[in-house]
Amino acid sequence: MSKFRVILSEVECMNISILGASTTKFGELWSVSPRTLAKEAMTNALNASGLKASQIDALFVGNMLSGILGNQTNLGSLLVEELGIQIPAFRIEGACASGGLALHNAINSLKAHQYRVVLVLGIEKMTDHSQDEITNALMAAGSDEERMAGATFPGVYALMAQAYMQKYKAREEDLATVSVKNHYHGTFNPKAQFQFPVTIADVMKSSKIADPLKLLDCSPISDGAAAVVIANEENSKKVRKKVYIVASEVATDTLSLHDRKSLVSLSAVVEAASNAYKKAGIKPKDIDVAEIHDCFSISEAIAVEDLGFSEIGLGAKDIGRGKRTLFKGDIICNPSGGLKACGHPVGATGIKQIVEITEQLQGEAGKRQVEKAKIGLTHNVGGSGAVAAIHILRI
Amino acid sequence: MITSPVKLWRRQKSVSSLIGKRGKILLWTIIRVPAKSFVGEAPYPVVIVKVKNGENMIGQLVDWQKEDLRVGREVVCVLRRLSTEEKEAIIYYNIKFKPL
Repeated sequence: MSKFRVILSEVECMNISILGASTTKFGELWSVSPRTLAKEAMTNALNASGLKASQIDALFVGNMLSGILGNQTNLGSLLVEELGIQIPAFRIEGACASGGLALHNAINSLKAHQYRVVLVLGIEKMTDHSQDEITNALMAAGSDEERMAGATFPGVYALMAQAYMQKYKAREEDLATVSVKNHYHGTFNPKAQFQFPVTIADVMKSSKIADPLKLLDCSPISDGAAAVVIANEENSKKVRKKVYIVASEVATDTLSLHDRKSLVSLSAVVEAASNAYKKAGIKPKDIDVAEIHDCFSISEAIAVEDLGFSEIGLGAKDIGRGKRTLFKGDIICNPSGGLKACGHPVGATGIKQIVEITEQLQGEAGKRQVEKAKIGLTHNVGGSGAVAAIHILRI
Repeated sequence: MITSPVKLWRRQKSVSSLIGKRGKILLWTIIRVPAKSFVGEAPYPVVIVKVKNGENMIGQLVDWQKEDLRVGREVVCVLRRLSTEEKEAIIYYNIKFKPL
């Protein structure tokens, strides 16, 4: 019995370390292929770890759209070729949370001691395709009912924005402050797709996509890749400024928005986050810096409430008051520029968030460095909240 | 979008049972940038409706005026052609909502 207890406690205590992390530039990268993007992210993450490809036991790939857009559903094997070795490789999908889910599965493989050191890649190549093809492909994350209603991904979030504005008397200008903050952060990130600021007036006069969401409330269509090398503690002795992943939690909800009890909160996020806080032994206020899945402005307003950073109903207003802004806020959200300004190559996003938090905790985030950042969180959401992956990192 | 006749045939049974259901608009939006199959119809409203037995449904709103886009507006389920985009594909009918 006592032996069994010991084994259980070992499983509970996560000691996964990040040995190397890297992201490509995000943006409209017409001159590069998915293979080139993947190779760049993987090679740079490997170089940062000081390991050779031959020391990697397996590759986990987070990707959403290669089947629909590229007619390619053997992505693990395809991309492992770029490493010049043959190792077990897996492609994992969960809409825009594909990256977070790939990392979660990679961590599970380390916890099970199946592998010692693994590479996790997030990748998406979207700008090779037309806007209506992409809009259609992204709705693969929705339900049949939503698709046949002619709802789009921005449309479903627009319904959430309507619900939020009605319930909490928030204005469109309050939501616009999310984009203003994230574009401001993007000006400090050389890898970001958009490195220019926008004003509330710019957001308000941008063209309507799905009322009340306007173009500048929406994250862009992007290309990009990001990769991390992770290992169990016993295989990572040599690393300088070691960052640990202390919690990795995933939860799901109904695929359709209209089947949910609440339209102003994502229960998958609440559940995954509360489990993650418990595993990490911390409270929301202990977080110094977070990367939030702001696929739309409304998403970040709801996220900071679901994660316990802001009081219910005050998420957007806190953002407007600067409480999540670099150099003046308490819990800084999206120093990378978030999905809005850094870009949103959907499968890459969950891993890019990990790369950003790793750099922040190592004190290597350059002009966008959050001072004395010790604990960070990533919030990666798929569909309109049907799946969420939360990771907590510390140094 | 549905392209398989088998899938379409399977869904028809549940679709017909919804005709005539009444409810009230809970949330609405106007889709201005649609997916491929709906390009010809944009802009169009999509609503979440609370139907009388308490469940929520999502659907397109048809035959609408600007003043119909408000919370609490009564609507009814009607059978309508889903989209008119693909001229040589199967013509598919689905539930949409109409103001009462």
